[in-house]
Amino acid sequence: MADRWQDCMEIGIAVARQAGEVICEALKNQISVMSKSSPVDLVTETDQKVESMIISSIREKFPTHSFIGEESVAAGAASKLTDNPTWIIDPIDGTTNFVHRFPFVAVSIGFAVNKQIEFGIIYSCVEDKMYTGKKGKGAFCNGEQLKVSGQEDITKSLILTEVGYKQNPDIAKTMFSNMERLVCIPVHGILLCSSIRAVGTAAVNMCLVATGGADAYYHIGIHCWDMAAGAVIVTEAGGVVMDINGGPFDLMSRRLITASSKAIGERIAKEIQVFPCGRDDGKD
Amino acid sequence: MASSEENEMYSKKQWEGCMEIAVQTARTAGQVIREAFKHEKEVSTKSSPVDLVTETDRLVEDLIISSLREKYPSHRFIGEESSAAGEKCLLTDSPTWIIDPIDGTCNFIHSFPMVAVSIGFAVNKELEFGVIYHCLDENLYTARKGHGAFCNGIQLQVSKETADAFTHGDLQRLGCVNYASAAESLTITSHLKDGAQEDMSKALILTEIGAKRDPATLKIFSGNMERLLKAQVHGIRVIGSATLALCQVASGAADAYYQFGLHCWDIAAAAVIIREAGGNVIDTSGGPLDLMSRRIVAAGTVEMAHYIAQEIQTITYERDDHNAN
Repeated sequence: MADRWQDCMEIGIAVARQAGEVICEALKNQISVMSKSSPVDLVTETDQKVESMIISSIREKFPTHSFIGEESVAAGAASKLTDNPTWIIDPIDGTTNFVHRFPFVAVSIGFAVNKQIEFGIIYSCVEDKMYTGKKGKGAFCNGEQLKVSGQEDITKSLILTEVGYKQNPDIAKTMFSNMERLVCIPVHGILLCSSIRAVGTAAVNMCLVATGGADAYYHIGIHCWDMAAGAVIVTEAGGVVMDINGGPFDLMSRRLITASSKAIGERIAKEIQVFPCGRDDGKD
Repeated sequence: MASSEENEMYSKKQWEGCMEIAVQTARTAGQVIREAFKHEKEVSTKSSPVDLVTETDRLVEDLIISSLREKYPSHRFIGEESSAAGEKCLLTDSPTWIIDPIDGTCNFIHSFPMVAVSIGFAVNKELEFGVIYHCLDENLYTARKGHGAFCNGIQLQVSKETADAFTHGDLQRLGCVNYASAAESLTITSHLKDGAQEDMSKALILTEIGAKRDPATLKIFSGNMERLLKAQVHGIRVIGSATLALCQVASGAADAYYQFGLHCWDIAAAAVIIREAGGNVIDTSGGPLDLMSRRIVAAGTVEMAHYIAQEIQTITYERDDHNAN
């Protein structure tokens, strides 16, 4: 049964690559930008075009499957995950990067059945890196198997996150104090410090954890389409995904910690002060 | 020791020759780093628990300096690891190579794929050319004063405002032009790349934390980011390598970079590359760039650079030339 969704995955990979080509081509031309929920929540025609392309290519082969896509949801579609085979799609993760031609932009395609993520595909198109992970079958980047760093000591870790504009000043303060707390952890009165990076795309952040290049990524405020593919890629590389409070990973919760080890994940959960971020399935 | 006059007598060809050697040396060093990248690294600390160094840093710096010294025995050298070993960061009129063997040592240790070799060159205390080599992606960034900036042979251009372009004269009046180059006047007087940023509210900004991690410093660091985010910049990114971040400004992929805590060997090459791509580098106080000051603001436009300089609160680090008297 483990190879049951292999044909779906192969279609997914081909479609992701095609989408990546469209994105790379668009990067050479002028990009016209609109905004969604706020002036910093950007979307472009390419996002919309690529999502339509992905969904129609897949729907052609698998007409009974369901879809949750970032731009479809923005246009009013429901983002409810059922037991039905469901493709969870971010056509351009890192739209802000895309608009600026900052070279971290990825197509993210996750696939869930019975609400379990079966495989994930993330194509970081500028770098031409195709990341894949299939339940029970390992995680790979351009054919090379991935393994997390295995780091267990937070004071030696490299942590990824993102800093974005928060309307609510208390939430902004919490976001920054979380970061400050993680960057500098006092151990027996000595300040021991990890390092922080922010590249601007959740999907690529998760892949960097899977490769061992980073030890953790945490975020409050992303979406299921940012997390679905990455979650299986990291776990198949030997890492962990969990809720921001240390509990089990919840795809619709809009938050996560992914890490090279349970120890790091739990330590981060301990340091983070949570703030509300809504849910993708509206079950607040 | 060469006098100013003697230095002036060197033809432009001389520096071109030096730059070609710098490029070859950077590529060779990059290969050593690439090979060491996947392996276990032995790590030590320098001035603080986050100021890291490896055997590869030292090896690569020795390799670079010895290659260059062989060809140019009368030249001087300022290198990160030599400086850590006690050499003074004194910039004289002599032809001087300013070297960071591995920019992004923390990234290197973690195998986080943003690592570069940086080689800058100054004569009469003026920065003449810069070479920055992204070791993993094998992207070579180069610029020589008056000859433009390039990445893998493709000319670089910073992001610029398309409407209301300033004339060269306006910028001179503002005291912002202290570095004349053919490339600069070209980019200012013609309308170039679309979608670009003088208006803060659409800017993508890069920065780094720096080695100081005490709570007071971190509060200032966060406060600076918070202020910029409130101006509704599109985003702030941190990649762990100052030289590669500065190259993103030169290529137009980022609109600005600011940092406290970097060194002269992080600034030297990148300053030339950004200027030759039409951009601006200034001190965080708004004054002219001070190579030894441990701080910088770089941006595609003069307005962006000054806006950021105004917004950010200072984090003080000891000057690179603190012991050079």
